Amino acid sequence: MELQIRDIEKHFGEKEVLKQVSLTAASGAALGLLGRNGAGKTTTIRIVMGVFFPDKGEVLWNGKPLDRKHIRIGYMPEERGLYPKKRISDQLIYLAMLRGMNHAEAAKACDRWLERMNMSEYKLKKLETLSKGNQQKIQLAATLMCDPQIVILDEPFSGLDPVNAMLLKDVIKEMIAGGAVVLFSSHQMNYIEEFCDSIAILNGGKIILDGRITDIKHSYPRNKIAVTSSQVEQIAPFVIQHMGEEIVSVEPDTTADHTLMIRLKSADSKQKLLQGLSDKGFDVDMFRVCEPSMNDIFVEYTEASV
Amino acid sequence: MKHILQVLRFEYIGCVKTKSFIISTAIFMVLIVLMAFLPGLLFSTQSGNGDVHFTDKEKPVIAVCNKAHDSHEMLTAELTMAYAGYDIRMTDENLSELTAKVGTGEYRFALLLKEPLSCTYITKNNEVFSGATVQLKEILTKLYQTTQLQKAGLSLDASLEVVNAEVKLDTVTSGTDQAQNYWSTYILMMLLYIAIVMYGQMVSQSVVAEKNTRAMEMLITCAKPSHLMFGKVIGSGLAGLTQMVLIVSTALVSVNAVSKDSLPPEIMGLLNFSVDMVLYALLFFVLGYFIYSFLLGALASMASRSEDLNTLISPVMILVVAAFMVVVFSITSGDVNSTLMVVCSYIPFTAPLAIFARIAMSDVAVWEILLSVGVQLVSVYLFGKLAAAIYRIGVLMYGNPPKPTEIIKMLQEQHKANKLTKQSSRS
Repeated sequence: MELQIRDIEKHFGEKEVLKQVSLTAASGAALGLLGRNGAGKTTTIRIVMGVFFPDKGEVLWNGKPLDRKHIRIGYMPEERGLYPKKRISDQLIYLAMLRGMNHAEAAKACDRWLERMNMSEYKLKKLETLSKGNQQKIQLAATLMCDPQIVILDEPFSGLDPVNAMLLKDVIKEMIAGGAVVLFSSHQMNYIEEFCDSIAILNGGKIILDGRITDIKHSYPRNKIAVTSSQVEQIAPFVIQHMGEEIVSVEPDTTADHTLMIRLKSADSKQKLLQGLSDKGFDVDMFRVCEPSMNDIFVEYTEASV
Repeated sequence: MKHILQVLRFEYIGCVKTKSFIISTAIFMVLIVLMAFLPGLLFSTQSGNGDVHFTDKEKPVIAVCNKAHDSHEMLTAELTMAYAGYDIRMTDENLSELTAKVGTGEYRFALLLKEPLSCTYITKNNEVFSGATVQLKEILTKLYQTTQLQKAGLSLDASLEVVNAEVKLDTVTSGTDQAQNYWSTYILMMLLYIAIVMYGQMVSQSVVAEKNTRAMEMLITCAKPSHLMFGKVIGSGLAGLTQMVLIVSTALVSVNAVSKDSLPPEIMGLLNFSVDMVLYALLFFVLGYFIYSFLLGALASMASRSEDLNTLISPVMILVVAAFMVVVFSITSGDVNSTLMVVCSYIPFTAPLAIFARIAMSDVAVWEILLSVGVQLVSVYLFGKLAAAIYRIGVLMYGNPPKPTEIIKMLQEQHKANKLTKQSSRS
């Protein structure tokens, strides 16, 4: 199953918010939707949800226009929203019924999800009596209760303690393994790297980068090598002498102990460096090509423009 | 449709279950029961044993210094009849002596009758609504008239008969009895107005609350905005109707439960609702409620915080107050069929109140009622459509509420966009 957004354009008044946005998200994998504030992420999500109509373009499900009456979509907005003054079970059942369940199914799903979130004891409490993290869990339950085929999560981890974050990770991984299409929007890049196979970066209403994370990372020159060893003091002069012209810089890594960052002119001379260290008999703990982090990639692509 | 019903059910239950709803309904019901039973209880205790506690010694004294009539007899008799339980004492004391004794409380009050038509009434505190002066005037006038007639040669009985004579006036009304309906209409009008304002505001507050808590962000992805709005307006309206029906039926039951004689006619008049008036009130509540709550709901969708709400809905609130004022002035002046009222019967904002007052207090042709109801039904439909369009824009907008011109512009744009999507979906 596959969710496809094709050539979407949208403007509000004079302002063009989305320009030719196209994305594909397949089931069994999560797509990270990235972008700075105001880049058009929420508008894209709302178009998928059917809240806004695009001026141009379409949203497809397995190649056909997305039928929101029959395809269940679970959405967790960044601005959390539920009724603070109403009982948790009442509002969870209400939202599930609006999404097409009957009362009995909704009540059952409510119990199941509260159980899953370790929140059963709060079933009859009013939402406002819960801590922020617990409210967050209720929000997630509300999103997933209708057993959605498409899950859209906007900053799901903000405000969760590490234990609850673990719980949420497990739940999301289950959803992905269960074959749901997961769209994941976050500014916390570590989560993006953990969950998403592919990303799409929106900037100024345009997709400026999309693809599998591994492919994107491989597309960067692999000329930056990290060497960890107890003998870094001896290794540094050796590398300069051994590699000569082929080297750009050799510096100790500021973020890790006993590590040298070696930048080569070309990734091709990586083998020569490894051979040299090995022949000389240095005690090397780790020899690794430094890939750019998601953070680096994000900043690189979005820094320049608004 | 399914969504509207689900939203309606949720809103209705949510509304009826709130503490404020339960408490206010209970208070109203208790007040009405009190209003029906309390006067009966009060009056029965007063007339039954009001004066039994006084022994002769304790009887309050009314001092009378009579310098105008030859005989005290008739004066004493009349005063004793009017002031049962008082000791009527004839004295020769002068004004200052009487004033002093009234001041110390020895006399409840005193009368200094210098001439048949001139009397000084001496009292400690002149109460506004005691009615004592009117009653005394009547007694003394009667006394004067009787003595004069006697002087002219009539017997005492004959002169008393003349003085006590009263015309019996029977009123036959060919149309609606305005006088009889005045108070009941007034009360139903008040209820109608309060209900429309109260429940309309309830809708607007609930819309803002949903935006403010961002519950809307979730809802909007589950159901169409128009369904959300219609469900909410109808649900809250049904909650209001529930409250009205509870209150009105309490009133009807308790009025029928008390014996008619225990209530003074003034209060019976207040509670004299006829069934068709109550039904008309319900009909115009429903129509007025929809007209106003659609507008209030749509305006509320423009606000992001409850602080913005008052500014936004104030034009509509002024409208409803103005409508109420016009109608109240008209029924107070008695001219409910003035040109102004006729015109108001066909303006959507004033029609529910105006046509109701006219039906209650005069005879209105059936076609006029039908036309007014028709105008209101069409306005409900149009306002509903307009409100749905505004609501759709409003609910996802945060920040400062937009200006009216901006709203119109956005509505036009949305209209265009809808047309486009319809065309593209057809092709």
